[in-house]
Amino acid sequence: MERKIRVVMAKLGLDIHWRGVYLVSQFLKDSGMEVIYLGNKFPEQIVEAAVEEDADVIGLSSLGGSHLTLGPKVVRLLKERGLDHIKVFMGGVMAPKDARSLEEEHGIAKVYLPDTPMQVIIDGIRSTVALA
Amino acid sequence: MLETRQVRNQSPPECLFSEEHVKQIKANYQDWFDNSLRDADRESEGKYFTHSGIPIKLIYTPADIDHLNYTEDIGFSGHPPYLRGVYPNMYRGRFFTVRQLAGLGAPEDCNERVCYLLDHGATGISILFDLPTVRGYNSDDPEAEGNVGACGAAVDSIWDIDAFFKDIDLGTASTNIVTHLPSTSLVIPAMYFAVAEQRGTPWTSVAGTCQNDFIMETCVGSAPEILPPQASFRMQCDVIEWVCKNIPRWNPVSYNGYNLREAGTDAVGEVGTAIANAMATADELIRRGMKIDDFAPRMSFFWDLHNDFFEEIAKCRASRKVWYQLMKERYNAQKPKSLLMRFHVQTAGVTLPATEPLNNVARSAFQGMAAVLGGCQSLHIDSYDEAYSAPTEEAALLSLRTQQILQAETGICSTVDPLAGSYYVEYLTDQMVQRIWDHINKIEGMGGLVKAVEDGWLHREISTYNMDYQKKIESGEMKIVGVNFQVAAEKETKAIEVYEYPETYSRQKTKLEKLRKERSSTKVQECLDALKDACHREENLVPHCLEAVKNLVTLGEIEETFREEFGLWAFPLL
Repeated sequence: MERKIRVVMAKLGLDIHWRGVYLVSQFLKDSGMEVIYLGNKFPEQIVEAAVEEDADVIGLSSLGGSHLTLGPKVVRLLKERGLDHIKVFMGGVMAPKDARSLEEEHGIAKVYLPDTPMQVIIDGIRSTVALA
Repeated sequence: MLETRQVRNQSPPECLFSEEHVKQIKANYQDWFDNSLRDADRESEGKYFTHSGIPIKLIYTPADIDHLNYTEDIGFSGHPPYLRGVYPNMYRGRFFTVRQLAGLGAPEDCNERVCYLLDHGATGISILFDLPTVRGYNSDDPEAEGNVGACGAAVDSIWDIDAFFKDIDLGTASTNIVTHLPSTSLVIPAMYFAVAEQRGTPWTSVAGTCQNDFIMETCVGSAPEILPPQASFRMQCDVIEWVCKNIPRWNPVSYNGYNLREAGTDAVGEVGTAIANAMATADELIRRGMKIDDFAPRMSFFWDLHNDFFEEIAKCRASRKVWYQLMKERYNAQKPKSLLMRFHVQTAGVTLPATEPLNNVARSAFQGMAAVLGGCQSLHIDSYDEAYSAPTEEAALLSLRTQQILQAETGICSTVDPLAGSYYVEYLTDQMVQRIWDHINKIEGMGGLVKAVEDGWLHREISTYNMDYQKKIESGEMKIVGVNFQVAAEKETKAIEVYEYPETYSRQKTKLEKLRKERSSTKVQECLDALKDACHREENLVPHCLEAVKNLVTLGEIEETFREEFGLWAFPLL
């Protein structure tokens, strides 16, 4: 049997809005992925959990304004530990130019802004993992 | 007096329509249904529902509300059951308070925004905090990284509250302090009261509201560190008890249906849960020796006005009636003010997509209109850039102007409760009353709201609701213009300006360093020790927080004390 894609999902830091990240977690699970939802965690804890869970993907949710600080920090920590194969996705509320900057300059595989259909996220994760 | 007069003059039973009349209408309805409609129309019956699931008929007639008694079920504004409004003259006496949220960056930046809104005709202030402040961390705590000044203002000490309200008279302002959690409602309003005292403003003239809702701590928002429901609930009651005895014009709680709705529930769950919380509070305060009339007049509510126009109006009307029934029948309240449900409204941020953001101006205006037709006391209209950031000055002004257009141009404020008597609106209102009561009774059956939260019931409810809601969007059953319905062939490329907050972190850090040098560390330790002790005794925590903030103890230090003394609680969905 094919190995299921393993996804670690987290809310970044102090962000209180759990509706979206919990929903995406459930949809990913329903699509056949193995999803571990961590709740609110800081970058070090997220990377630690990704290692423990042997994750292919980290999904970060930010609606609280820390996307440009804590998001890139997760990518940096992964790189430092030689874990570049773990792809980092983000979703949440932010300016489109911030989303572009995260993708182009900070190594985030893809940022999903509000109104993204769930299937787009599912397909995006699948194709990125397939290429890796 | 009015009630007695009406009761004397009524010809019993005082139903809206005579039995004979209703009988004729029913016969005519059947004739109309059978002969005037197409098959497709008849088949559409049973397929339309309000957002909360109430079936909607193609047409409503007196036969749908023939059981209602005007005096008992509807009545006059300012009179039981207050369904039509809490004051007799409603908006002719006083418009709803135009209360737009302001909060971003450092307190000094917010002061600018607040003054800008007041200069443009806002009549109330509503201040919002960044996430470290909301969850009780100082700006220089490691947990605060990346969040200082984002989505709200940073507040670390009493100095920040002083800066926030520079040039604003605390004796005449009406200030809503959006503290969310009981633990921070113990501290930030205390800073406000202490600043008032230092400026020589008597506490008797200080007016405003703080949120102070334990489900914000334990359920609606998630966080790395959460206080246990019992501890948070105790703090909620401490704030209400102390404020009712000391700050007569302050509303010490705003039961937050709004954020629960945004987190995921329908109109019934929103109002039912908030009222269940008020019941839990009332029972606890009575256990502490207070009387219902000591605190009920100061309880206030906070509703979310979502897309379903008529259901939302019905919700507002129904919530007042349920509150009246509860206060009268269960708590035997005597003061007229105890019977009045006063509420603030914010339009539904969750309904505002990022796609074609200017469409949100229209959505929010309709929701705002529903709030006014529902008889709100105070209103915030969301800005179109909601799905991008805290509002820019331009977007905030447009929201403010939308409120002023509602007041000055539409004419909807000229008469009380203008939709009363609509067969549909009265039917929906009656349905909402019943369903809200069912929801309250369900929570009561589980042992009350604190228990329902401890057991994770409320969290599971939210999660189920959200899954269902999202599936309706994904399938297109729930239409969102521009997103899954009438999608533009070419994506709009208009760039949206996003509010950028200045370097708040370094400004707050500098202030904190100065504060730590200037204050007496002995005094700080004494305050924190006394607070620690009080946590473990049945003693109100407010006086200890007040003493602490006056001695320049920071928000983060007080909250850390709570986290240490009460311990942390695991969010049930993990």
